[in-house]
Amino acid sequence: MTEEEEEEDNNSRSDGALHAVGWRRRKRRLLSPAARVHLSVLRGTHQWYKDLHVYQLEHPTQVIEWTSGRTVCVAGFSPSKNEILELRLPRKLFADENKGLCAERDFKVVHGGFTDRPVRCLRHVPGTRCAVTGDGLSSNLQVWDLGGDDSDVIRRTGSIEGRRRRTGVSEGGSSIAARPSSPPQILHGAQISDVQLTELSSGQTLYQLESDSADPLSSLHFLSDAVFLAGCSNGNIYVADTRTSAAPQLSPPPPPPVSSGESVLWWTDASAGPDPSGCRVVRLSSSGQALVSDLRNLGGAVSRAQLDVQTRRCGPDDVRVSWAPALDDCIAVSGFSGAVQIYDASVWTSELQEARPLFEHRGHAVSPEQSDDGVPPILVTSHVWHPERPRTLLSAASDGSVHVWDWVDQSAADKR
Amino acid sequence: MPEIKVTPLGAGQDVGRSCILVSIGGKNIMLDCGMHMGYNDDRRFPDFSYITQNGRLTDFLDCVIISHFHLDHCGALPYMSEMVGYDGPIYMTHPTKAICPILLEDFRKITVDKKGETNFFTSQMIKDCMKKVIPLNLHQTVQVDDELEIKAYYAGHVLGAAMVHIKVGSESVVYTGDYNMTPDRHLGAAWIDKCRPDILISESTYATTIRDSKRCRERDFLKKVHETIERGGKVLIPVFALGRAQELCILLETFWERMNLKAPIYFSTGLTEKANHYYKLFITWTNQKIRKTFVQRNMFEFKHIKAFDRSYADNPGPMVVFATPGMLHAGQSLQIFKKWAGNEKNMVIMPGYCVQGTIGHKILNGQRKLEMEGRATLDVKLQVEYMSFSAHADAKGIMQLIRMAEPRNMVLVHGEAVKMEFLKGKIEQEFSIDCYMPANGETITVTTNPSVPVDISLNLLKREMALGGPLPDPKKPRTMHGTLIMKENSLKLVSSEQALKELGLNEHQLRFTCRVQLQDPHSDPDTLHRIYTHLKSVLKGYTIQHLPDGTVMVESIVIKVSSSAEDTNTKVLLLSWSYQDEDLGSFLSTLLKKGLPSGLC
Repeated sequence: MTEEEEEEDNNSRSDGALHAVGWRRRKRRLLSPAARVHLSVLRGTHQWYKDLHVYQLEHPTQVIEWTSGRTVCVAGFSPSKNEILELRLPRKLFADENKGLCAERDFKVVHGGFTDRPVRCLRHVPGTRCAVTGDGLSSNLQVWDLGGDDSDVIRRTGSIEGRRRRTGVSEGGSSIAARPSSPPQILHGAQISDVQLTELSSGQTLYQLESDSADPLSSLHFLSDAVFLAGCSNGNIYVADTRTSAAPQLSPPPPPPVSSGESVLWWTDASAGPDPSGCRVVRLSSSGQALVSDLRNLGGAVSRAQLDVQTRRCGPDDVRVSWAPALDDCIAVSGFSGAVQIYDASVWTSELQEARPLFEHRGHAVSPEQSDDGVPPILVTSHVWHPERPRTLLSAASDGSVHVWDWVDQSAADKR
Repeated sequence: MPEIKVTPLGAGQDVGRSCILVSIGGKNIMLDCGMHMGYNDDRRFPDFSYITQNGRLTDFLDCVIISHFHLDHCGALPYMSEMVGYDGPIYMTHPTKAICPILLEDFRKITVDKKGETNFFTSQMIKDCMKKVIPLNLHQTVQVDDELEIKAYYAGHVLGAAMVHIKVGSESVVYTGDYNMTPDRHLGAAWIDKCRPDILISESTYATTIRDSKRCRERDFLKKVHETIERGGKVLIPVFALGRAQELCILLETFWERMNLKAPIYFSTGLTEKANHYYKLFITWTNQKIRKTFVQRNMFEFKHIKAFDRSYADNPGPMVVFATPGMLHAGQSLQIFKKWAGNEKNMVIMPGYCVQGTIGHKILNGQRKLEMEGRATLDVKLQVEYMSFSAHADAKGIMQLIRMAEPRNMVLVHGEAVKMEFLKGKIEQEFSIDCYMPANGETITVTTNPSVPVDISLNLLKREMALGGPLPDPKKPRTMHGTLIMKENSLKLVSSEQALKELGLNEHQLRFTCRVQLQDPHSDPDTLHRIYTHLKSVLKGYTIQHLPDGTVMVESIVIKVSSSAEDTNTKVLLLSWSYQDEDLGSFLSTLLKKGLPSGLC
């Protein structure tokens, strides 16, 4: 569709949504890729945002990690020098009552630091000003002090050694999870056999997962203070208890098997909740199939859906799937393209059916096939939900953009 | 060592005003003279006591340069020039010169009439101050005096904003004022050449922010206007006559076109006149470096935007009105506000900062009941929106500017040092330059390494090149001998002979004489001959002559032989050489002291 045709198409939809402005004046050749990208945000006819903030970092990030209700950490992943930044979200986002009187829309860089490795994984240790990072190359992790009021520099304070029981294993860095309680402890590993719990202050290993399996990890999640779940990129899920040395419970992905042929990658998320037994787990495959299981029966699927994603050759680090912490049954998916999709899993059934997203944030890229000029398509590298605000998310993409958005649930709003 | 001193005037950590003193090459320059908008007492003025305890500043300052018309950069100018006292030149760009007095007068009116202040500058003072202003064009070098020259560069940010390059001899400083690195609809991005100043001075206020995209701000603005119109409300947008107002007009015009909206948009006539006047200035100004980002149009040929008439404010139904003044402190915008404030369907959008004492300032602070003249209260029921469209550089922008200008040192003002360590580290790492962060009132000294240009005479150059082969050998540095003459303001290097000639002096000759005793049984002439032979075999490549007058000459060194009176076998050699052959002479005397080898014939 040419720009003009698209304009006509948009004009014919009369639902009063926000249309693009001012762009017709500019010749198409004057529109930078960034402008075209933003065009799509403003043109979104079915998309409503309560809030939308668009930022451009100097270097793209693959990590977004909350360090408080108002601050996040991002970091670069280039092979050599990178920055770790702690950003404070704009006051306007949180000024719920007097939003109109607050003009401040910018990120504030409250702390920053330098590292000479890529940052592929970053975890904040709750209750502290510490963060742990992994470079995706070795199983060792770096420990950082995010800084307080007296300094704006993020400093490296130490490292945690990982172990590699099997040598010559494929690359892939460690997954990291921080134990919710104090004293601070870090659960980490690159594959199941490596998973261990290390005390941050002493470096002492408190627990090691008893398993010989070389399944590579895609994520680690604490379900309670002692029980954790390890999601593997082959779809296996292990549940273990750090208090016992018993072997972990293994659950492969439920049948029927997802398309054979090219190897399929899986990503996992576990819903948080006061009662771990009520926890649900979502598995997402690189072919776009999502499976929701109960913690008590991870071998079976309570519901499943074929998501409306642009499947492509993915790397193990590309895709993120996450349960909304403050919304029932909502799942966010990113990494297949330049969009972040929100799905309502409550309408999924045990039969595999196609699901349409409840909401799609397409601000990072117009379309995934946009490869004119030989420019590689922009992909979303990461997303996170705000821990308390139900519909606020942050997303980052390969072009260095970071968006903060608060979406409106169209199904709940009146149609005009 | 030569040095440049930079002192941000002011006290404590406050960042509300800009006034920086620079001492360079014996010249003192004041950069900006802003008012702090948050204080009501003398703290709002910069602390000039640093320059002199009492008395006028004229003798202590060589010039004052103002970067742009925002009050936190020029608000204290009339106070400084007329109440403290300064009669020297004040430099600013043409648009700044045109707009400053208007803003200053507005500000004065608000402060004196509304707030009843007494220790403030008068209208006449503003006029007298502006008489001292010398306007600058972009990229034009201006000689302030024989040694000090300045040049203005485009800074973006607001109409007429400039970054300024200051040069004394071979030392230079660039001050950025407020600038932005991403082009606007009606303003371009800041630009400077690779001037490699000794110091680049920049505000640090925005150095640690990452700006929300302009399109998001615009989206928010349009959304608010649209929502108000949809519910039948009226939108008041108080503006100053130019810049931002045009941008918002262009935005609304195209939005109206796309959405096929029918509600009227008005632009008050007072604005039209002023705007047209400034637009002409605007055109000549923005022709520099704007290119594609500037949309060439006649400013008021909008399809959907019409001239406003007072009576329209009472018309029913939705509408949007742009009116002056920008802070709702008087005039038409205030009149309209009073009419529309009581209806919650309406909205007022404040696109910029409002000075204390104005209605704008009060409603932005959440006040919902206002006291008007005659003790009447106004209930503010309409929606108040504060939107900032100002274009400032951010963390990325500072790095871009440093990359452009390539300064040798960086100075960041108006920031807390403790909160700037990361940026300092970033600059030092990426550019390997020192980054200073003086607190207000603190002086930092930056040593510079100025290069001193010296002309070398062609003869001297040719002569030096002739020695030791055609190409210089970097491993064997050779000392060049010449004379440095400093005449008037130039330096030149010439050969010694030429220098003596120019100065009308005679060259003195220095000769050394040395006596060496030698045991030799031969006759004097034979001894001399033996010496000659010996030297010829040792000093190959040197000119050695045995002259008929009974001397041996090695280059210019003269050797004579005579016998001692007591003993004819004891010969006394007299060696004499000129200063130029000192080395050879010393060598010969040492050599001959060892005696002659026996095998000589």
